[in-house]
This record gives sequence, C-alpha cells and structure tokens, in this order.
Amino acid sequence: MERELVVTGVGGQGIQLLAKTLALAATREGRYAMLTADYGGEMRGGPSRAGVVIGDAPLRSLPVLAAAWSAIVVHHRFSEPALARLRPGGPAVVNVPLVDPASLPEMTVYPVDASAVAKSVDAPQAIGFVLLGAYNAVAGAVDPESLVEAMTELLPPYRRQHAPANARALAAGAAVPAVPAGARVGATS
Amino acid sequence: MTRELLEGSAAIAAAAITAGCRFFAGYPMSPFTGLLESMSRELPAAGGVCVNAESEIEGVNMVLGAAAAGARAATGSCGQGIALMQETIAEAALNQTPFVVFNMARNQQDYFQCTRGGGWGDYRTITLAPKDVTEAVAHTQLSFHLAELYRAPVILYGDPLIAQTRVSVTVAPQDHGPLPERDWVLDGTGGGTGKSRQVWTWAMGKATDPGPGPDRHWRAVADKFDAIAATEARFEQAHVEDAETVVVAFGTAALFVEYVVEQLRAEGHRIGWFRPVTLWPFPGDALAAATTGARRVLVFELNAGQMLDDVRIHAADRSAVRFIGGVSIAESGLAYGDLMDAPVIRDRILAALTGGAPA
Amino acid sequence: MTREQIIIDTSGPPSVPARKVADPRPSLLLGEHSLCPGCGEPVALRLLLEVLQELDIVQRSIGVVGHGCYGSFVRIMDVDVLQCLHGRAPSCATGIKRVRPECAVFTMQGDGDMANEGLQEVLHAAARGEKITCVMLNNGVFGDTGGQLTATTVLGQRTKTSLAGRDAAAHGYPIPVADLVAGLQGSAYVARGAVSTAGGVAQTKRMLRRAFETQLAGAGFSLVEILTMCPTGWFVPAGEGPGYLGGSLEQSYPLGELVT
Repeated sequence: MERELVVTGVGGQGIQLLAKTLALAATREGRYAMLTADYGGEMRGGPSRAGVVIGDAPLRSLPVLAAAWSAIVVHHRFSEPALARLRPGGPAVVNVPLVDPASLPEMTVYPVDASAVAKSVDAPQAIGFVLLGAYNAVAGAVDPESLVEAMTELLPPYRRQHAPANARALAAGAAVPAVPAGARVGATS
Repeated sequence: MTRELLEGSAAIAAAAITAGCRFFAGYPMSPFTGLLESMSRELPAAGGVCVNAESEIEGVNMVLGAAAAGARAATGSCGQGIALMQETIAEAALNQTPFVVFNMARNQQDYFQCTRGGGWGDYRTITLAPKDVTEAVAHTQLSFHLAELYRAPVILYGDPLIAQTRVSVTVAPQDHGPLPERDWVLDGTGGGTGKSRQVWTWAMGKATDPGPGPDRHWRAVADKFDAIAATEARFEQAHVEDAETVVVAFGTAALFVEYVVEQLRAEGHRIGWFRPVTLWPFPGDALAAATTGARRVLVFELNAGQMLDDVRIHAADRSAVRFIGGVSIAESGLAYGDLMDAPVIRDRILAALTGGAPA
Repeated sequence: MTREQIIIDTSGPPSVPARKVADPRPSLLLGEHSLCPGCGEPVALRLLLEVLQELDIVQRSIGVVGHGCYGSFVRIMDVDVLQCLHGRAPSCATGIKRVRPECAVFTMQGDGDMANEGLQEVLHAAARGEKITCVMLNNGVFGDTGGQLTATTVLGQRTKTSLAGRDAAAHGYPIPVADLVAGLQGSAYVARGAVSTAGGVAQTKRMLRRAFETQLAGAGFSLVEILTMCPTGWFVPAGEGPGYLGGSLEQSYPLGELVT
C-alpha cells in the first residue's frame, strides 16, 4: 500500500526538512519513498509545499500527486491547492492556532500547537519536527527512532548541535494526544 | 544493494560515474544545475574532472576534447543551453566522438531540438526520454554505452520532475555487452610513427594514408544512423491489442498518461497507451503495429505538438490522430504548468473519447 | 651565460659529439604543404614540429587545429590531431589535457579563429591557467576566404572588406591578443614572435620551446602569437610579404616575451 502525505506552508517553516526527514527515514527502513518539493524562489515567506509517498513496493504515485491520503498543514497561506487533493477521512495534522482546524471539515484533524510544544521542550526552532512527530504517531508511517536517525543524518555539520533539541521536538510531538475529528481545541501542550 | 534517497540529479550523477564518466563540464541553468553540482561534488573522488565551464559552448567543446582523448565524458543544460551546443553536437556526430548530453529540460518543448537537431549535416542524435528517476538511472548508463558503441553523441532528455524529485533508488552497474576497440582515441602515441591519428569531420586522412574524404565519410555516417534507426528504437506499451484508442506520450508525461489510462481501462474503456522510450530513433514501426486496430490515436505532450509529427508519419494513414497536449509552463518558467496533472489529462482523454473538444 | 662560456675551444678534438639541431626536412612532416608561395604558416608549423622533436615529446603530443589555411596541416603533421570547430580549440584542448595530463597539448589557430570566432575561449582557458600551449598564427586577414578584415587587421591595412584600409571609425581597433592574455593571472608564458626574418624565426622557435617547457613544468597557460606573412591576402607579391609584415602588423604588435 502507498500512503501519500502533503505538507504545506510558507518558506522558512522547515517544511522541506520535515518532508525530507520522513522520506529518508522510510528509505533507511528499506522501503520506497518519493519526495516532491515545490517552493518559490524565496527562502522565506513564499509558498512551500512537499509531497511524500511511502510504500513497500516500487511506487506508482505520480510526481504531481493526483490525490493524497494525509496532510500536515503548517500555515494556511498557499495551502488551498494541496488540500483540494486530499481524500476525505484521512489524517491531517494542523498547526494551531495559525491554521483553523475547521478549514478541513472532511479530514480527521489533529490540532497541534507546534510553537507551544516546541517551546515547552526548549526547542523553539523545531516546529516542523513537532508536527512530524505528531503526524508519525497518528499515521504510523515509520519507526520513531528512524525519524531521529534521519533527522540527525540530514543536519549539516554546522547544525549538529541542534540534533538533541530536534529529537525532543519529535518526541514531544508524538506525545500530543490524538483529538477526535472536527474538534476545535487549541494548544495541547 | 540498499536504496538511497537521492534527488534525480544526484541519482543521474551517480549513474554517470558508475558508467565510467570521468569528465564533465557544464554551465549552471535550472533545473540542470543540480546535476552539475552533483558532478562537481562527486567526480573528483572518482578520479574524474568536473569543469564549471564559462559557457555551454565551451563546456561541450571541452567534453568533445575529453571524449576524443578517450574519456567517457558528458555535459548538459536545458533547452536554451543545448541550443548553444548544437554546432558541436553535430560536429561530434560527424567526427564520431562519443559523449552524453543531459538535457535536464524545463519542459517538453525540446522534442524537435533533440530529434531534429540544429546543427548542420546529415546526422541524428540518439535520444532517450526516461519516465522517472529510476529509469533515468538506467538510461544514463545505457546512454554512455550507446554513445561508445556507435561513436556518436547521445542525448538524455529529462525534465524538472526527474531532476528534482527525490526517490529511493539503487545505482547498480549495468552490463550492456561488448564495445568495439577504441583504436581511434587520441592519446599522443601516434606522433612520429607515420600512423598518427586524427579526429576530423572531413576525414581526409594523412598525406601518406588518405582517408575516405567528406563524400564517402558523410555517406558512411548517414548509413550508420540508418542502421541505428533499424535496431535501437525502444518503446513501451500496454492494452493496445484491443484498444479503440491509443494515447501516445513520452518522458514523464507518459507516466501520467499510463496512470490515467490504467484508471480508464479499469472503468471499462477500450484504451491503451504507447510510449516511445527513444525519441530518435522513433519507434515508428512499433507504433504502427500498436495502432493498427485503433480508431483514434491521441497525442499528449507538453508542447504545441512536436512528437505529433512523428506519430502522424506512422499512424495517420489508418487512425484519426488527435492532439490533446499543449504548452503549459509554470509562472516561474522553470517547470511544467497545470497541464501536467492526472485529473486534467483524464478530462482531455475523456473529452476526446466522447468526441468533445479538449478542455 | 657569459661571453667567455660560449667561446668554443678548437685546440683539440671536440669533447662532445656533434649534435644535429635540425633536419632539412623534419621527420614529422608527412608531405608538402599546399599553401601559397610566401605564406608564413608553414614556417611556423615547422618550428612547432621541431620543438616537439627537440623536447622529445612527439609521442605524447596532441594537437587541436582550428579553421584556416593551416587547417590543411592536419594532413601533413605526423602528430595525433583533433580538428575542431572554428574558435573552439582552447576548450577542446582543455578537455584533452584534463583527461591526459601526461600529454603535451597544443592548439594551432589563426587570428580569425582565435581573435574573432573564439576570443572568449582563449581568455577563459588562460584565466583558468590550463596547462596547454596555444599558438596563434596572426596575419591580420582571413586568408582562407581570400583576405577579409579580422579582429587583428591593423589600422590602415587594406582587406577585401576594408578596401580603403582599416579605419577605426568604421571598423574599430585591432585586438592585441597576446597582450590581453598576458594580463590574466593564469598565463605563465606569453610571447609574440614573427617568421618574417631569419632572426625572427630563430626567436619564435625559442618562444615555442619555452611555451612547451612551461606547459611540461605544469606552470600554467602558455601562448605564442606568431606574426605570419599572407602575401595573397595582403595583395602584395610573395617576396614582399616579410617587408609588408614589418611595416604593418609588427608596428602594431611589438615582438617579444610578455610573460615569462
């Protein structure tokens, strides 16, 4: 089975890194992954989207996803095209309060106040990893330890010192309790 | 062998090095840039050289020199930069210097450029159009083999979806069989022997050992390309046996077409797909066979209708050939526009099946 | 070398055997050239081939020849040769040298080839410090096509496309290629010689030798610009070529070593 994830937000939120971390973790587990990236010329502030597909056999998904099972919505800006492709009922981790959970009425929404969670574990820069940790807990995409290893591998040498904070963010995200679909709750740290 | 998560450009670079490429020269241009960066990072460790050339023209001529001296060599760019290389690609076809040109194009508008070329003389360029990163890895190695087998430049026609998509992929060496002796390579040892070598489009030879000269040489080169056309055409197809409709597409567009056609097939439509894997030689006989029983042949490509010419040559005498593609470019100009999308392609095919105008 | 050191002692038998410094016809020439009477290019070719022999690098030399009258030398020089596109020789030579660093790699180009069609090639190759030797045969005209204006045609020089003489207002100024190349950091040896006089021939040969020695030492890029006679393209009698060269090209392009 192939599982598709779309991640959408604005440049600078760590979207490409979180998507790459998941794709690498799946690859390191010996599975098949595809990662498509779509971002504007700007490093920050422009649209930033990524698609990750994971499967146990060579993938059939297209590099422009025709449909997706799940989503991580980091910012509501520019998110419309990606969200229009979601199959109803799948999991969507949304970054509250920046994103309104009600904006995805057909999805099983898991609100995560990523900023608050990240601060609570002294990893304020690691919002993306909080969301990835939460997503992985819900979707069961890969072994949580694979995420930590992939994240560490992807850090350039001059950022290695951030690995422990990122790992804490992944774990804290995974610990955010699942909330029923349609729930309009706020921070859950 | 374990799979690595590699961006298409990095996977192609790894495949090129695996295939023995030891000289690369290029000029940055998106989305080719990733391949240049990968080669510049990886080639020195493999004992090779990557030159950040000051222009496409200089890059391709460095590659011609390196190849004439016996190295497996490659360059690349996008359509605009490949345009600058056309004179040298034609020259290499005529003076029989093998190398690979990676056209990591921005779109599918380079079909004519790849298959017809813009250089002078009677030459062709073998052109492989992979549908995804995994196939691009295989085609990269095949390209070096074909280049050396036929002593001719070979183009690998990629695009942003191949260059920039990351996939789990294995780059394993391939064995494409034996190659002819490389007695033409310039290594300097011919000097003073009376048998010094030359790589020369005019092929006039030495005063003491005349060559065939341009008339005989150019006819021999043309004959060689005829022989390649007869043996190297490659294609893929499915469901054509009973298909009323056959959709023809190349490169990554064919991946999308395959996806949509499989859906429609499952829904009961008598429809099949055909993909030229080599754009030159175009698998015309295979297409003719695949469309013998078809009422209509639909051509989907992200340009104003270029491969359409080749499809018409081979299928228009029996089937109604209809173009359902079009120019479609992202705002940035660097990638495909909205037409490279399964739902849109599905709508266009369905419209054609019911006789309606394409969307 | 002091004057005392070169005085030969003839009071006894020679201490070393006589050394042959040149054949009447170098063995690297496979046949007669087909260029016009009075042409300077065959002289330059001969000097180049003699230098390859004297440096004992004949069997590890690769030449890259551009387009001009000298292109026909491909048929008579017994050296491995790539005949390349117009202007592109420095790039082709770069590719060859990078994959065969043990070889001596040289280009042979005219002024039309190097200064017109491919000026950026030679400048970039020099700036990169490519360990190649570029030889420019400069006669200030397109000889092969019958004597038209090139980028190095000197002011006042009559050509078929500057019948009243090169006029800066109409045609701009000539390009001193050796001087341009000399200004680049990658250039390790740059010189300009002429084959219009016996002294010039000897000097030019020394320049070629030093250029190849520079390459073999791995010191960087080397270029020798050689002023050559083209009486046909200059519309002067064959015997007047050397004199015309001295009065025209040599006045704009001073001879000597620019970078050593």
